[in-house]
Amino acid sequence: MSAPIIKVDAISKSFGAFKVLDSLSMQVMPREKLALIGPSGSGKTTILRILMTLERIDGGHIQIDGEQLYHMERNGQLLPADERHLAKMRQKIGMVFQLFNLFPHKSVIDNVTLAPMLTKGTPRAAAEKRAMELLDMVGMADKAKAMPAQLSGGQKQRVAIARALALQPKIMLFDEVTSALDPELVEEVLNVLWRLCAETDMTMLLVTHEMGFAHDFADRVLFFDRGKIVEEGKPDEIFRHPKQERTQGFLKKIIAAGHRV
Amino acid sequence: MTQWSGYFGLILQGALVTIELTLMGSVLALIMAFLAGMGRLSRFFLLRALATAYIEFFRGTSIFVQLFFAYFVLPLLGLELTPLQAGVLALGLNVGAYAAEVVRGAVQSIGREQHEACIALNLGRWQGLRTVILPQAFLVMLPTFGNNAIELLKATSVVSLISLADLTFQAQVVRAQTGNTMVPFTTILILYFILALLISWGVRLLERHLARGLDGVRV
Repeated sequence: MSAPIIKVDAISKSFGAFKVLDSLSMQVMPREKLALIGPSGSGKTTILRILMTLERIDGGHIQIDGEQLYHMERNGQLLPADERHLAKMRQKIGMVFQLFNLFPHKSVIDNVTLAPMLTKGTPRAAAEKRAMELLDMVGMADKAKAMPAQLSGGQKQRVAIARALALQPKIMLFDEVTSALDPELVEEVLNVLWRLCAETDMTMLLVTHEMGFAHDFADRVLFFDRGKIVEEGKPDEIFRHPKQERTQGFLKKIIAAGHRV
Repeated sequence: MTQWSGYFGLILQGALVTIELTLMGSVLALIMAFLAGMGRLSRFFLLRALATAYIEFFRGTSIFVQLFFAYFVLPLLGLELTPLQAGVLALGLNVGAYAAEVVRGAVQSIGREQHEACIALNLGRWQGLRTVILPQAFLVMLPTFGNNAIELLKATSVVSLISLADLTFQAQVVRAQTGNTMVPFTTILILYFILALLISWGVRLLERHLARGLDGVRV
């Protein structure tokens, strides 16, 4: 039995008076595929943003790969992490955003090579070779020279995935990566996720409203509501036999809205 | 009938001085704009305070007084400037203060999602600024920078008051020597306009060049 790669211990986070995460704890094992579901405002996106260091926590501890994320150990004491420590920890984590967040002034390939060249000092030639492999993997190699504005939403998202992969993170965070897409473009992105699942051993956390996909893809599903994990378990348990009333209510609403489970 | 050709020569010499002043002033203004504009966005209170003080002071006092101060008062403090140096200094600092707010506004207009992408890709603060934020912000700044450069061009006429032989100065010389008011001033009116037009075109050309490939909105 290996150690968890993500260990979240009693973290809390408030935006003003609104408590988004309330003493939340969870663990993720290496290579695990985790789906985070729940109503909007339930804190599921916030936990991803916290893991990517886009939001700070108000209390609690997070360990990534055996190391503290927001704290540094100095002479046996835990101090708040400085920028250098955060930069080191970020190497382990990649994130793909709902709205892609591509750099509009850079071509597809430059979007992918930028971070490896700047943060790892990878020479351009090597970075481009690797970028072409990744673009090939997401089916975007023929658009390497295109600008983001020339791409469809699904294509942009696949580039964004390649861009995050270029840094070779151990953990990938997917924040509603298909929510902004036209329905007919959702599948091409989900197919890339399947491919990642098959060809890499990354740990993957997905916040998603694609319940059917979450069911098929995830090893484990967490149902969030009001800043807490209300229920967790194997996809079949959560989707077919939810125990908690709130989970049942949420799934009923989702099915009524036409999503397949 | 006055022999105008010699006088036109004078006015053309003045145009060269005006152009020189505009170019050098713009370079200084651009440097100050970025220093103060980024200073306004700094995490450090001292930098923010310095930048704010500079911007408010130079926007809040008249360019005439600033020029006179540079040319007549600084020598009293031991800093002797040529009319050209004083002109470039006053114009650059004055217009730079306005342009600094353009830099600040443009950088702030770049969406949070671009900053977040930088963090997620582990770019350092400066790396993200240099490769992601500023190149996009620069495109936002350009049209207003064009305005600023035209303002600077027109403001150069104040240097005639410290005896720098720019367009306006030469027009007054011609007027004094010929007694004709209409011809010299009409001529420089047109010349200023042509110079301003050239700046407009140049900026628009640069904008179009830099916006290639970006979303259609900004082209």
